[in-house]
Amino acid sequence: MARQAQAGDESAFAEIVRRYSPRVFSVASRFFRQRSLVEEAAQEVFLKAFTQLGSFEGRGSIEGWLTRIATNTCLNMIRGAKRRPESTVSDLTDDEQQWLEHHSGADGSERSVENSLVATDLADRLLSVLSPEDQQALLMIDGEDASIKEVAEATGWSESKVKVRAFRARKKVREAMEKLLNRR
Amino acid sequence: MKDKHIIDILDNTSIASPSESELSDIQAHAQECVSCRDAYEAARLSAKVLQSRARTKIEPSPFFQTRVMAAWREQQAVESVPAMLRLWRSARTLVSSMAVTTAALAALTFMLPAQTTSLTDQTASALSAESVIMGQSSDDQMTYEQVLSTIYADDDDAR
Repeated sequence: MARQAQAGDESAFAEIVRRYSPRVFSVASRFFRQRSLVEEAAQEVFLKAFTQLGSFEGRGSIEGWLTRIATNTCLNMIRGAKRRPESTVSDLTDDEQQWLEHHSGADGSERSVENSLVATDLADRLLSVLSPEDQQALLMIDGEDASIKEVAEATGWSESKVKVRAFRARKKVREAMEKLLNRR
Repeated sequence: MKDKHIIDILDNTSIASPSESELSDIQAHAQECVSCRDAYEAARLSAKVLQSRARTKIEPSPFFQTRVMAAWREQQAVESVPAMLRLWRSARTLVSSMAVTTAALAALTFMLPAQTTSLTDQTASALSAESVIMGQSSDDQMTYEQVLSTIYADDDDAR
């Protein structure tokens, strides 16, 4: 399929887009929450993939190759926007405070849509203290239960680099959360 | 283990999936140590919100494939045009404006020297020896004959 697309076969390229867009969207969703940004990133990934099809040697899977392109494209988009990590986490909203109170001390298992939105906002607030690369490592390992090896494959980083990033990110996020809990 | 702080364990492994022995160590120590209890609580809540964030996925819209294919065709069309033609298309405005500017500068180069020379002559005549001697401004200039007659008339008067 990759070879057919490389030769200019439109239907083969369309099939690649159809089959792998959920995966590319999933990667882009780690970096962006706005649909427009996720779609922009995903489109860029497929156009880039088409121009780089010649470099795909067929040793790994197309999905893995696209995941790596997606990760690098999203990181470049964030770098291009010159977004820097925040130095501190801003104050909690009432909803976030309620969420923390509800989940502190107990293993609250409630998963309503509203609650998960509050938790997602809270996560973004905590992740804002990290660099995009550290965010990526932490979200994959602690959020999606990915292994160090899986993260290394998806990003092209070495396993030791992934470990260092995850350690640093986890420590920063935990400290930011402790500050938030002390501010209540 | 009770006496050993657990912060390193918290930062080294995902609190979402600790092994049973790690979890019992963490909980045993957290009961005794206030700072580690706070750290454990923060780590547990962080993992919870991160899992919630990771579940937030945006699905591709039904039009996404059409959009990508349209962009792909556009890209193909651009690439099929020869490079020199593409270069000309993007640069023709700049090249045209540069040509107009060059023509205007050339025209000015041929017209300006004449004006400059006449201006130089005017300046020179304004500072001519006669003007200086006669103490006259350049506005009321005398002819050569007038100058001579003025000089010789003065000589005649002196005699």
